[in-house]
Amino acid sequence: MLRLFSRRNVMAAGVVFFALLPFFANPYVLFIGNLALMYILLSVGLNMLLGYAGQLAFAHAALFGVGAYTTGLLKLELGLHYGLALVAGVGLATVTGLAVALPALRLRGLYLALATVAFAQATLWVFTHWNSVTYGGAGFRVPPLDFEPFTSRPDIGVYVLTFVIVLVSVPLGWNMLRSRVGRAWVAIRESEVAAESLGIDITRYKSIAYVVSAMYAGAAGGLFAGMLGIVTPESFDLFQVIVHFCMVIVGGLGSLWGGVLGAVGLVGLQEVLRAFRHLQEIAFGGLILFTVLVIPGGAVSLLKRYVPGWKEPLRRTEHDE
Amino acid sequence: MSKLRATDISISFGGLKALDSVGIDVEAGEIRGIIGPNGAGKTTLLNVICGIDPPDTGTVWLDGESINGLKTSQIADRGIGRTFQTTKLFKGMTVLENVMTGLHGKMRANPLAAAFSFRSVLREEAGAARRAREVLEFVRMLEFADEEATSLSFGQQRLVEIARALVSEPEGLLLDEPAVGLSLTRVTEVDELLRRIRLERGVTILMIEHVIRLVMGVCDRITVLNGGRKIADGTADEVMADAEVAEAYLGAELDA
Repeated sequence: MLRLFSRRNVMAAGVVFFALLPFFANPYVLFIGNLALMYILLSVGLNMLLGYAGQLAFAHAALFGVGAYTTGLLKLELGLHYGLALVAGVGLATVTGLAVALPALRLRGLYLALATVAFAQATLWVFTHWNSVTYGGAGFRVPPLDFEPFTSRPDIGVYVLTFVIVLVSVPLGWNMLRSRVGRAWVAIRESEVAAESLGIDITRYKSIAYVVSAMYAGAAGGLFAGMLGIVTPESFDLFQVIVHFCMVIVGGLGSLWGGVLGAVGLVGLQEVLRAFRHLQEIAFGGLILFTVLVIPGGAVSLLKRYVPGWKEPLRRTEHDE
Repeated sequence: MSKLRATDISISFGGLKALDSVGIDVEAGEIRGIIGPNGAGKTTLLNVICGIDPPDTGTVWLDGESINGLKTSQIADRGIGRTFQTTKLFKGMTVLENVMTGLHGKMRANPLAAAFSFRSVLREEAGAARRAREVLEFVRMLEFADEEATSLSFGQQRLVEIARALVSEPEGLLLDEPAVGLSLTRVTEVDELLRRIRLERGVTILMIEHVIRLVMGVCDRITVLNGGRKIADGTADEVMADAEVAEAYLGAELDA
């Protein structure tokens, strides 16, 4: 009976669900589904850096913003094809991620956290105040997307594009985690000295973690700009940082599939609380606290304990802190 | 021929001189022990050799070539394995995954190839798993391959850590108190394991150890440190007979 809920089955059901959603969902539900898929990208990328490589960095929401702004502005100002603008968004977010990594490699723990929070705030400041480029606090509208001849409905177009990107990039990330790259990240998280003494170049592998995680954030940002049709600074503020952390921590730090579940679950929660933004902040903060104190391994640790077939490589177990 | 040599090593942390022109010369195939009271600089010496703490003065030689200035990971790639005083197994990994991590430097998969799971990557992974199992068998821990590494007993974790250091087939092994906190039966096992590592794998071993029974039994030669200086160097009998060693451990004789 429980075998029915093995990781493979749940994931397959999820894929089928998201694949069929455009056929029966109304535009609102489709939008929420799209949001969930986009958050899966964010969560997978953040989990690599935070959960696997163990780098307490808060730059993710800013990189998400860089992806969104780059994609949106290229579409708006140059009339670039959305696909190309998206690729450029991923590119600039990745370069920015590398730029964050260079100083961040020298920092650890609390200092890394502070430096990256400062980076996130500085980026937000640029979004808000560089009026001539970013249109300031009010943001800007992205011109309507065009997915002809595939579909006349842009919302379905973005949805399918997001779905395909998730379907491709999540397994790619999963493969990376199952290889020596994932093991090197976990080794760095657990002990840099021991990792080095096994021949792991920690500078190199931390940089890789920053870069790969930035690629996911950039892609999510570009898709976000496309699906929402409007880009404003407040989408990338510290509350977003909390939302991203919440997905990964509540789902399961250091568990890719946990993070995926967290993303989907929290998008649902966010929608339920859509009308009460302040309640959202309290709920998300409270949820992080609850998880850290009561189920430190995240929701996925419960699944691993009670559902056979939820094992995954490099897994964190429930007795971890 | 000397496998591993350190000459005139000095290093200070703040105002504290942790090592004061210490030299050590380990022959290929030797099992060398380092003993000395707490704070003698034993672990610091291992850290200097494997590049964790760069020395203020002095040179470390591996096969007659200076390895000063190399990163720890580069020294590891040159065939120096290392275990730690407090076991540093990676939490969140199984025993097998921990040991496979020891093969990192021997593997070639880059992130892109890994992401696409190229056939070469999968083949390399399978080979790594096979080698990891083989070395787990060697330390007699194969039955625990799929256990969460940090859930094992302390003594078992020590063996896994040795396996992790051994899996890349290093020529030299630096062990920091492999027998600390182990029961007597376990100490005998470690004694026998160290001999097998040398005999069957041809590994040169440099180890810090407080368990005198193990040091005296298994080590060809022993180096004694005290207060950051080397005070003796020789076979077990020679070291035991040394007046300065006795003084370091037992204090000066009252009637001297």
